[in-house]
Order: sequence, then structure tokens, then C-alpha cells
Amino acid sequence: MNAIKITRTLDTSGKCCPMPMIETNMAIKALVSGDVLEIIATDPGTRNDIPSWCRRTGNTLLDSREDGKVYRYYVSKN
Amino acid sequence: MKSMAIVVRDDSYDKILTPLAFAYLQAAEGVEVNMLFVNWAVRALTAAGAGAMKIQGDHADQDAWVREQVAKAGLPVEIYDIIKALKATGKVNLYACSLAAAIFDVNEENLIPEAEGIIGASWFLNEKAAPADHYQYF
Repeated sequence: MNAIKITRTLDTSGKCCPMPMIETNMAIKALVSGDVLEIIATDPGTRNDIPSWCRRTGNTLLDSREDGKVYRYYVSKN
Repeated sequence: MKSMAIVVRDDSYDKILTPLAFAYLQAAEGVEVNMLFVNWAVRALTAAGAGAMKIQGDHADQDAWVREQVAKAGLPVEIYDIIKALKATGKVNLYACSLAAAIFDVNEENLIPEAEGIIGASWFLNEKAAPADHYQYF
């Protein structure tokens, strides 16, 4: 993970669908191509939602991690 | 997906959350969402109606608890505030069914400014629902 330079962190901890995805969409719009968004979530739905969203939007899921009930995603903006 | 059409019939607080959440999700991703409110749900497009929505039936006694859970989830608790959030995306159009408006006392005077207007179902079904990439009914 040290190789990934995080541009911005979005913490959606405690929030549930639809808010993590809505806030992720909003956050990515504020970034420029190549920027990396770190998304922290506790909604287990994001385990499917974030990879699926990346495939649809052309953004790249660089890595994801699970630490107990906390999920971290690292997305490079297209 | 480029466009989605949703017809909303149920007006209880808990049951209207799902179509609003789905609309919010898709709109956030840039999808055009057109929503037609029919039957009692048309009252969601009035300030008084949106504010009066409660959980009905078997779960009526859990209204306060559900609202607390909605707040924890991060959504606005009030239906009108959710509607405002939908409109803020710039991708959601809200229509009142003219039949429902006539039956359930919704008119141009009490319609919330976020709504596009009172329209005929034929227009919505042919111009918005039929061409949509996806259609849902709640």
C-alpha cells in the first residue's frame, strides 16, 4: 500500500446504502485523472458495489482491504 | 444505463424509501431518473403530504425507530429532504399523475416546486417509461 499515493480519503463509516455510493460519486467528481480516492466503509454492500461501480465508470480499483468490519478501497480516477 | 423510470404507488414512510434511494443512487452516477407518483404516493409531492408520511400496518409502532436507523444510515430523515437531495443531483424528474392528483387533492398550488408538474400517465408511460433503459414499480 505504500506505493499508492492517496489524494483524498472519504470516510463513510456507519453509513449504509445508498450513501456510500452517492458520496463516492460526489468525491470522485472533485478529483482529476490519476488521483486516488481512499474509501473507508462499514456497509458490507460496498464489497460488491465499489468493484461494480469501478467497472461501469472506468475508474480503477487499485486495491481493497478488509479489517474486521471495516472496508478500504483505493480507486484511481480515470 | 442512461435512463430509468420509476412508478411509485406506496406512500408509507418505509416503503417510499426504497424507490427514493434507488433514484438517488442512479442519479448520483449520472443516470436520468424519471419518477411518476401515483395513488396515495402523489401526496409525497406536496409539503404536507411528504411531512405526514408514517409507517403503516404491522410496523406502525416502529416509526420512530426506523427514522433513527435512517439517520444512522446517513440519509435525510424527512421525505421532503430526500426529494430535495434528489433534485440537487440535477438528474431526477418528479411527476404527479393527473388521475392521482385529482383523487388525492394535489394541484398546482400545493405541488412542491421540486416537482416537474401534473402529467398524464399516457405521456409518462410512452415518453419516459417505454424508452428508459430500466423500469421499476413500487
